[in-house]
Amino acid sequence: MGKNGSVERRAVLRAAAGASLATVGLAATAGCGDGGDGGPGDGTVEIRFAWWGAEERAKRINRSIELFEEKYPKIKVKTDFQDYVAFWEKFQTQAAGGNPPDVFQNAVAFLRKYDRRSVLLDLKSQVDAGNLSLENFRSGIEKIGEVDGKLLGVPVGSNTMSLVIDEKVFEKAGVTPEQGWTWDEYFGALKKIHDTQKVAGDTGYFGIMYLYDLYLRQNGKAFFTEDGLGFDEADLTEWWQDGYNRVKAGIVTDPKRVEQLKPKSALASGDGASEFTWDNFTVRYTTEGDSTYGLAPIPTTDGKETGQYLGSLMLSGSARTRHPEEVARFIDFMVHDPGVGRIMGYDRGILATTEQFEAYKPTDAPNQAIAQYEEDVAEAGLLGAITPHPAGADTVEAAFLRIAGDMSTGKTKVSDAVEQFFSEAKTALAA
Amino acid sequence: MTTLIEDSPPDAPEKHPGPPAAVRRRGRRENLAGYLFMSPWIAGFLLLTAGPMTASLYFAFTDYNLFNSPKWIGLDNFTRMLDDPRWQKSVEVTAKYVVIGTPLKLLLALGVALLLAQSRRGQAFYRAAFYAPSLIGASVSVGFVWRALFSDDAVVDRTQSSLGFDVGGWVGNPDWVLHSLVALTVWQFGAPMVIFLAGLKQVPKELYEAAEVDGAGPFKRFWSITLPMISPVLFFNVLLETIHSFQIFGSAYVVSNTSCGPADATLVYTCYLYQKGFKEAQMGFASAMAWMLLLAVALVTAVLFWSQKRWVHYEEAAR
Repeated sequence: MGKNGSVERRAVLRAAAGASLATVGLAATAGCGDGGDGGPGDGTVEIRFAWWGAEERAKRINRSIELFEEKYPKIKVKTDFQDYVAFWEKFQTQAAGGNPPDVFQNAVAFLRKYDRRSVLLDLKSQVDAGNLSLENFRSGIEKIGEVDGKLLGVPVGSNTMSLVIDEKVFEKAGVTPEQGWTWDEYFGALKKIHDTQKVAGDTGYFGIMYLYDLYLRQNGKAFFTEDGLGFDEADLTEWWQDGYNRVKAGIVTDPKRVEQLKPKSALASGDGASEFTWDNFTVRYTTEGDSTYGLAPIPTTDGKETGQYLGSLMLSGSARTRHPEEVARFIDFMVHDPGVGRIMGYDRGILATTEQFEAYKPTDAPNQAIAQYEEDVAEAGLLGAITPHPAGADTVEAAFLRIAGDMSTGKTKVSDAVEQFFSEAKTALAA
Repeated sequence: MTTLIEDSPPDAPEKHPGPPAAVRRRGRRENLAGYLFMSPWIAGFLLLTAGPMTASLYFAFTDYNLFNSPKWIGLDNFTRMLDDPRWQKSVEVTAKYVVIGTPLKLLLALGVALLLAQSRRGQAFYRAAFYAPSLIGASVSVGFVWRALFSDDAVVDRTQSSLGFDVGGWVGNPDWVLHSLVALTVWQFGAPMVIFLAGLKQVPKELYEAAEVDGAGPFKRFWSITLPMISPVLFFNVLLETIHSFQIFGSAYVVSNTSCGPADATLVYTCYLYQKGFKEAQMGFASAMAWMLLLAVALVTAVLFWSQKRWVHYEEAAR
């Protein structure tokens, strides 16, 4: 090779070196990407907003954001959403990397967990500065976001645990749920449904942490105390042993069947006649299933107390955000603006503030039923207060559901399942 | 990689004693060139593989939830692991999967390779057709298809029921769901099959002709000629497929609708590792699990290498 050759080679070498430097550079920028100050230097700032939910909620939220950006042209909102489980996995990773979204949807189970990890912005100072109003919240639900004297989340809508029933099946079986009915009456009704309609009455109540919480509240206990579990092995053994017996008796849907139907609900597929869930989820059954679905009262122990309380999805800010003021203004707009209320409807629960509540009057039956349900519960004077869950509550909830499932298939003995749950809960709450 | 760099090109007389300075310089420059060409790979290796691996080795001995600074706890993660019933379950599930799935897959691959090794019409088509599942089998969409195939009242359930063997859908049944994952891996027998085919083509025809003259039947010919002659290829496939099976994740995660259930029946090792690390944020524990897996795979590999003295026949050695 002559001179030409070596020149070419040098050029190639330079290109190669350049390419690998570029790789390193890319990796470096990817590492700190998204953390930028957002926006060109004309005073426009960009905030990132993330939530969990489905396509339908995404559409509504995007339209709400358009309203917000019209009013605040200097604030741009970048959005991101996943389903519930994926959302928290991604959030945890982002937060650990020091790069959580500026503002995000939150729930009571995560307040303490992320407060302890210094991820959540205390919005108190923004309230004091007048960027965020805590006025006009219905039934005092703004208290849900207060933990240890800090304001960690602002409620967007209220919801409560409820019993969703397949109205056609209940009617054919001649069963009418009534406020204050007892567990005995409820399970008696399920048996009647099973005997006459040849369908299981419930889809697996014993694995739902929030329902067990209600049962415990009816008996003067609660699932969580401030820092641990509020019940003992004997309580849970009874709850699960009864559940297992009812699966065996056919009153509760075969867990194998429930497993395969996921992510569809066994109530919507006609494999069960009732299911306990949050009242704002009920719209889903009408979309998924062929029957008509209605809300029924939670069974009681003493004929009166249901143990129900108002829960809520919230909006929280990141402690690391560089734009706390814009975050506060955004949250304020999302919870108070009547236009946003009209767009969002009861998607995240019954609208939290009176401005939004009055701006939106549901016209469709399922949403009207939800509003009526919460009104009934409130009128019956049944609503208790909710305590913020201890850190690790989310892991405990997942373990409760999973181990209840193992137990119900008969793969794990009830006593072993209870022991395993307490051992896992101990680890989770200590982590 | 290193041999590529250090081997001198034929025209660089570096191995002679005392090459002229100019030549030496040129040799050094060529080494530099080699490293520069490798540099994208080296950068990637250091940043994306070596760095994280070192970090995870450290985390394995710490209590680390992604938010706190890692706290050194010595071997606690490892002792906790051995006491953890779910960890034991995940080892059991993975072992079952490896022990059932790998031999079945290789047997099928070898069987079909033997059929395809004979010249007949449409051979290329069959080869491609059998290979195709290996290309798509690892994808998430196939996982969804599998979930659908093995549910109540789906194809598999109906076929089974019509044969008077009614267990319902496998996906919801803790006793059966793992078999659907085994079926998924066995279905991807095309990759080892292609390697077997290449091995079979290498077996000299004279050996078969000579054996036939001596009166050896087809089974005898397979046992005494084919099997020893392809044993290096067989060894390679066993090794590769075993290591591969240990790392199963995607299919278990998708077929179980991300739960690795029901009743932890598809809780393969990596799935539990994922749950511990990314759902429960026990990164120290998850890192320790990863290193345990590495040790286990290394051990199995070592045993396989040791055993090959007894059954793998290398032609060079025989000559």
